[in-house]
Amino acid sequence: MRGKAQIANGKWRMANGERRMANGESRDTFHVSRFTFHASRNTDCELRIANCELRIIPYDVFLVGVGGQGVLTIGDVLTEAALRLGMPVSFYPTKGMAQRGGFVKAQLRLGRQQVGPNIPEKGADLVIAMEVSEALKAVRFVKPGGDFLLFGHVWPPTAVMLGKAPYPALEQVLEQVQEAGGRKHYLAAENLPLYDGQPVPANIFVLGAAVGHTGLGQVLAPSAVAEVIETRWKRGAERNAFAFQAGLAQMANGK
Amino acid sequence: MVDWEIGKLVEVELETRVVTGNEALALGALRAGVKVVTGYPGTPSSGVLDSLLRMKLDGRHVEWSTNEKVAFEIAAGAAWAGQRALCTMKMSGLNVAYDSVISIAYSGCHGGLVIYVADDPGVSAGMAEQDSRGFALMSDLPMLEPASVAETYTLIQVAFDLSERTGSPVFVRLVTSIANAYAPVEVEEPAPPPEREAILARDIARYTKAGAAICMAQHRDLIARLERAGQAIREMGMNELHLSPSTSSRAQGGNLGIVASGVTASYLEEGFEIAAQFGLERDTVSTLRVVATSPFPAAEVRTLLRHCSTILVLEELEPHLERNVIVEAHQLGFQGRIVGKLDGPFSRIGEYGVSQVVQGIGQALGLPVARSETGHSPGERAEQLAAQRPITVCAGCPHRGTFLALKAAIRRSRLKQDEVMVTGDIGCTILGMNPPFDTVWNEVAMGASIGLAQGYVHAGVATPVIATIGDSTFFHAGLSALVNAVQHQVPLTLIVMDNGWTGMTGMQVNPGTDEAFQPAGNRRVDLARLIPALGVEHFFVIDPFNLDESTSVIQHALTLPGVKVVLARQECAIQAQRRGLVAGRVQVVPENCNLCELCITRTGCPALSIGEGAVVIDPDLCYGCGLCAQVCNREAIRRDEAA
Repeated sequence: MRGKAQIANGKWRMANGERRMANGESRDTFHVSRFTFHASRNTDCELRIANCELRIIPYDVFLVGVGGQGVLTIGDVLTEAALRLGMPVSFYPTKGMAQRGGFVKAQLRLGRQQVGPNIPEKGADLVIAMEVSEALKAVRFVKPGGDFLLFGHVWPPTAVMLGKAPYPALEQVLEQVQEAGGRKHYLAAENLPLYDGQPVPANIFVLGAAVGHTGLGQVLAPSAVAEVIETRWKRGAERNAFAFQAGLAQMANGK
Repeated sequence: MVDWEIGKLVEVELETRVVTGNEALALGALRAGVKVVTGYPGTPSSGVLDSLLRMKLDGRHVEWSTNEKVAFEIAAGAAWAGQRALCTMKMSGLNVAYDSVISIAYSGCHGGLVIYVADDPGVSAGMAEQDSRGFALMSDLPMLEPASVAETYTLIQVAFDLSERTGSPVFVRLVTSIANAYAPVEVEEPAPPPEREAILARDIARYTKAGAAICMAQHRDLIARLERAGQAIREMGMNELHLSPSTSSRAQGGNLGIVASGVTASYLEEGFEIAAQFGLERDTVSTLRVVATSPFPAAEVRTLLRHCSTILVLEELEPHLERNVIVEAHQLGFQGRIVGKLDGPFSRIGEYGVSQVVQGIGQALGLPVARSETGHSPGERAEQLAAQRPITVCAGCPHRGTFLALKAAIRRSRLKQDEVMVTGDIGCTILGMNPPFDTVWNEVAMGASIGLAQGYVHAGVATPVIATIGDSTFFHAGLSALVNAVQHQVPLTLIVMDNGWTGMTGMQVNPGTDEAFQPAGNRRVDLARLIPALGVEHFFVIDPFNLDESTSVIQHALTLPGVKVVLARQECAIQAQRRGLVAGRVQVVPENCNLCELCITRTGCPALSIGEGAVVIDPDLCYGCGLCAQVCNREAIRRDEAA
């Protein structure tokens, strides 16, 4: 892509005084990815791709789980899908001192041109929780009326496994989600579909369910996410495609 | 190199890439023609060098140095010889480098010299929650703070330019949520390596501290350079001042002016949207986005103070900007309120986000911002129900064997664990403080375990005093402390846990890393040769996967006089597994297992779990270290050497 630096987003220092995106008033043209936006407001852009018009709305996704579940991969795929659509995106994974078995969270913020990496409390349009207990750490971030997708996998810490520490019951977790005003979508971990006799990757399955059964599907079309999954991994492409389609088709019920 | 002449249009070839703030900083530095890049790993700053080292870069030198002070001196030397140089570190590293930073600040630089420091408000990685802006203030150096990943790419280039224009080293400061966040950035083709000749400038008055006259002249020059930087920053319009169109409306406490710095500024627009629901009139709000926090943007703040009746200062951690705003307000005779940490709702602790913006606007204008909009109600209860997930060492980690042996050695010495001081250090070795080991007592700073241990001995502790430290940490700051112990013949036992990598920060090379994994031409510094050469008389090397032998050696060391060093040596299992290696093959013998759980409670290995009638080993996780087999007393776990 070739562009004038003075109008390219983020390039304002190269031609000071030319860019005024942040004031929410002026009408600027700026380049993102392969497409051209016409932005009228920070949060409300018309995107013109060929002849179709898409409204880009702000949409925040809060992801939690345990290291080793592929939580961050879900965020990676959605980030890539947003980028290909020319949608503004911020993806902030927090691994801490994480390793396999440690708490992992990530925050994906779509559709805002100027955006801080952290989602405010009660701000997430969608929470994706890959582990029952860790889901509790996301409860305060779900927007009242927002979607809360829980994959019912239980990964007990050692002390719990030895019976020396408590682990929350699924009903308790769902109750907390309900209290926070989240719309519950529960996926039982036991029902992970098989491909070639082996359970499919849970994260891709959950991603499919999220795109198919929450508001996410209106922001990032299932076909756009499927395209990223198809092209991202050479090995296991069919298995991943199957996992995603199975998730899309899954009827997530509010247990 | 990009021409930064103000107002000039620049045609560039752009490519949109999703990168982290750290990667954006690395790409921007390349674009700016950086020649030498140094650093020491530290979350969240490590990503800059990690990404540069993955690239093929001809004509530039990139290295992980022994510590931040060494790293900075290398960068400064290159800049004194006229090249552009970058040094990267986390905030704790700046503490280490600062002796040289302040001295070199007084001398100034010739080629562009940029110090990238990453702060961690909200403490995602564990260390003091310090605000490194204070260092810029004390050394009179400019500091730039990008508000986003995209801005990082641009500002690092501006930083080099500013450094050369003013002859001053320049700080670029990121926080974790920018350093580690991904966003699309339009990057240009990397510039070719710079073609500057190295220069040799003999200038005693500038490059030495020889005498009061020289030092005081340098102090004068230092102040003048910061003033020049301030002027250049103003000319570039770097601190974006936006005055509200309406000055007449005196409703809601009058015109609000918001001063926001760094990442905090990125939450403003979202905060305005929410505050609008509570009656905020957006066009009565003026904003000053402070990108250059040092020098303080006094001129812009004065303009804001003249325009507004209430000021809200949004900055994470210490109220550095706020204090200066108050000084300017006092000098101008400003009558309005200044809302921040000193007069208002804000904390010096933790990250700031949208909530602080909304809450601050509510406070400043007396808007009825609902508590529920910013408070912590039902979710906190939910979090309390969550299961505790303490972190431990990975499956196959050699430190597990060392800690088990240390525990056993204390027990066999007829001592209790709570009678034996085991000082700890930075890195994966701190995990010895957690269950099931519970051996390490403290964790302070790089290399501190060895100094602290000497203090406990001099204080009169009668039981053996033991220090533990990792290999990279030992090279970083442990070496000089061990020399001190040898000189003063302090009776202590030091356990150096050598896994060949700087592990906790994501597997960087250190001086002790196998040469096969070092950049071509590097030489490994072997701890097994270095430590005895320091005059350590009692030196032992153990294999931490051999529990009995390791225990005996440590137990024996505890009985000896003077300085004892035990080098526990096994490669980090994560790194070895990445190369397809295993230490052995471990299998459960189900008929011998009575589910006593001893293997799990003793080792805490994540690869072990309770199965139907017997313990189960996760074959994907197991590295085959065999420690579980060694703690089992029923021969229910069998280990075979790797074929």
